[in-house]
Amino acid sequence: MAKLALACTVNDEPVEVLVRPYDTLLDALREELRLTGPKEGCGTGDCGACTVHVDGKPVASCLMLAMQARGRAVLTIEGLANSGALHPLQDAFVRLGVPQCGFCIPGVLMAAVAVLAEHPRPTDEQIRYGIAGNLCRCTGYTKMITAIAEAAAAAPAGRA
Amino acid sequence: MATVMKTTREVKGVGLAIPRPDGPEKVTGGTEYVADLKPKGMLHAKLLRSPHAHARIKRIDTSKAKALPGVRAVLTAKDIPTLKRKAPTRAHAVLAIDRVVFVGQPVAAVAADEPAIAEEALDLIAVEYEVLPAAVDPLASMQPGAPPVAEAGTEADTSEALAHSGVAAAKSEAGPPRAVNISQQVKLQRGDVAKAFGESDVVIEKTYRVPMVHQGYLEPHAVLAQWDTNGLLTLWASTQGSFNTRSEVADILGLEENQVRVIPVECGGGFGGKIRALCEPITAALAKATGRPVRYVMTRREELEAGNPAPQVIIKLKTGVKRDGTLMALDADTIVESGAFSGAVLTMSAVFLASVYKWPNFEVRGFEVLTHKPSIAAYRAPTAPHTFFAVDSQMELLARELGVDAVEFRLRHLIVEGDAMANGQKWQSNGAKEVLRRIAEHPLWRNRAAWSAQSGKDGHGLCGTGLALGGWIPGLQPTGATVRLNPDGSLSVLTGQVDIAGTNIALAQIAATAYGLDIDKIRITTGDTDVAPMTGLSAGSKTIYTVGTAVLEAAKDARKQTLEIAAKEMEAAVEDLEIEDGRVVVRGVPDKGVTLASIGKKGNLYMSKVPPVLGVSHPAFAVQAPAFAAELARIEVDPDTGQTTIHDFVVVQDAGKAINPLGVEGQMQGGAVQSIGIALTEAMMYDKDGRLMNPSLLDYRKLTAADLPNIETIIVEVPAPAGPFGARGVGEPPIVPAPAALANAVHDATGVRLTELPLSPERIALAIAARQ
Repeated sequence: MAKLALACTVNDEPVEVLVRPYDTLLDALREELRLTGPKEGCGTGDCGACTVHVDGKPVASCLMLAMQARGRAVLTIEGLANSGALHPLQDAFVRLGVPQCGFCIPGVLMAAVAVLAEHPRPTDEQIRYGIAGNLCRCTGYTKMITAIAEAAAAAPAGRA
Repeated sequence: MATVMKTTREVKGVGLAIPRPDGPEKVTGGTEYVADLKPKGMLHAKLLRSPHAHARIKRIDTSKAKALPGVRAVLTAKDIPTLKRKAPTRAHAVLAIDRVVFVGQPVAAVAADEPAIAEEALDLIAVEYEVLPAAVDPLASMQPGAPPVAEAGTEADTSEALAHSGVAAAKSEAGPPRAVNISQQVKLQRGDVAKAFGESDVVIEKTYRVPMVHQGYLEPHAVLAQWDTNGLLTLWASTQGSFNTRSEVADILGLEENQVRVIPVECGGGFGGKIRALCEPITAALAKATGRPVRYVMTRREELEAGNPAPQVIIKLKTGVKRDGTLMALDADTIVESGAFSGAVLTMSAVFLASVYKWPNFEVRGFEVLTHKPSIAAYRAPTAPHTFFAVDSQMELLARELGVDAVEFRLRHLIVEGDAMANGQKWQSNGAKEVLRRIAEHPLWRNRAAWSAQSGKDGHGLCGTGLALGGWIPGLQPTGATVRLNPDGSLSVLTGQVDIAGTNIALAQIAATAYGLDIDKIRITTGDTDVAPMTGLSAGSKTIYTVGTAVLEAAKDARKQTLEIAAKEMEAAVEDLEIEDGRVVVRGVPDKGVTLASIGKKGNLYMSKVPPVLGVSHPAFAVQAPAFAAELARIEVDPDTGQTTIHDFVVVQDAGKAINPLGVEGQMQGGAVQSIGIALTEAMMYDKDGRLMNPSLLDYRKLTAADLPNIETIIVEVPAPAGPFGARGVGEPPIVPAPAALANAVHDATGVRLTELPLSPERIALAIAARQ
């Protein structure tokens, strides 16, 4: 099957990559662009490990065709740290010892960034529902919730 | 061995709550898992799997698949000459030979340039099956005349039991199998059961059922295989034990162990499900056939349909007590459904049934039963959540019937150090009593009556509180470690330990304290099977207890060598020396000293007479350290829908010594939530033909952050006499108590006793309705 040219921005860099019509955005990121931070835990949109942002909104990249990202801005976990400095959420996850096996973490962090963008001062419930689409089997979620709440509380007021 | 090193200054090591060093890589997406590896020329593997639970393979035609452009190899059983009809384990049944015994069993394998081509090739393989009757229900499968699962004469597989737990199967008395699908039997007895029941005032008899559940690791099984021109096979594997994977793969493919190198890649969760080889042998065979690196990543559907989940366990439990609370007799059957291949940890279930509380008279019969379903494997404390669900539900029922305090009743009858377990083994010291006492002191327990009184008020549903005890007897396995002093004065710790639970930071902390050097000067590496000392499985709650001991002894060895070199140089006695702030000094004379860096450098210099410091330890073990947790749930049940909401959940656990409290808490919280999942939502549901009806994460319901409260953790430290700094295993205990704790809480809230898991809204609502 002939490949198609996908032009979009990924982590603030313009990219052009050849993809198959049936490739998912996750396939394109992982196999073509070698951004392997987003993970495939199920391939059916149930586990959240593949979560990336498209135009600022969290999506399950395993459910979106790569060509649907044409002309759009994609942010993956690799683009979250700003020139080497960890994002406050990443920093809180490290300090509080959240990651265990680590497989779900890129997706959870992308979901958490979206939660804080929508609710800069989230309630416990907003955090819980905000990452309810992300399965984690190691942590029992407690340290995750604490880390997200702490990062939100530490952020300057009005920060989106 | 629980010596505390004498240092003049407290070293940053054991006991500090410090984050794992791999955190930054994990939060930035940098950590690589098998599916992230992509060497040049790599092919993708896919397996054709059986659609039938039991069928004879009459014919397989792969010619069309082989002709598809981009397909590099198509294999069936006849292409792998080492395969045996009587596969001794599931791993040996790489491809079905002429009979399939579960839905999802691999029948043919394809390696192709792209995953989509491999998928297309699967569609082009024609298999003609003759469908045979299937044994799907374990109770029916135990009966004479049930459709046979194993080839006649296949031996039972008890290796998992031995790997996971030190409880010897040899002590149990096994009778001859009484039906074709009973693959293991144990019987434990003591005293006169019939007489003791005759003298009992209260007899309670219940049947407890726990369905098959999946370990649920987020990373599906994956492996990358490549052969070199010398016939050396390298596997990049997601495994809980690289040395075990090496042995299994070598055995299955007819290789020497030294022809296989296993490189353990970051394991995206295992929980017991990534101990046994599963996709490694077939991937290696495809790599051999194509001469190319081949990567195989299981899909989530394959994981659920054809992984190696936890067994269904059915326990028939009858207990008799005197009105004054004296335990009299216990009679039990534990039926462990192993799926299509033997391998269940049967003995643990049988032993725990009659060992946790002191029954003077008991008879326990254990059966491992084969069915036409995917074979099972370990899942964190294999069979213990199931068994304690029965044991601690029953203790609660007895206490209620007798009108005595449920905690006091347990404490009165708990087995204590020196008592004989049901299999005759001596019970070792542990913190079971302490965790029960601590949880009973918790305000949520002390104020449970006030919470119950909220039922029906202010919009509340039915309110209740429950607790239970659970534990594990960790496994033992020989292991090894080295500790090396570097020219910069830092230490390198090397083991082959796969870090699935944050154990590497804890092992480094042990080295820090044992040697006398701060943790930030210590780097720990997990080596592959070509470079690391032999290291046991990361399973059975034994990593810190066994590998931690090896690291402790290797660090002490390195310290001794360091001090001996310094003693010569300083013309001082070894006994007078101390390691302080990266220097060896004479105790009390801090000005006189040599730096560790100078000692490390001398061991590296050309023509130097100073040997390099290399501490080595490779111990074997004999004494186990049982590990216990107690869990408490404060819940609310909606009387109309049966929905259970957990408001608070507490884990109290004896860690012996929490080497890294942050890691211990993580284990407690994660284990508790898996335990709650078994209790409330998880079940693999099969139809009458042996097909899984919920093979997706939408329908196989794992708990999310929105389903749970924060998990409160309380660490208790009752030192394990032979553990490093007193540490005992922490991985498994927290997955054990929640099923009984929640069944007890639901009983407290609703007045109905449920004995079948999960405690789904439907079951609870129907039970409430049936009582009204």
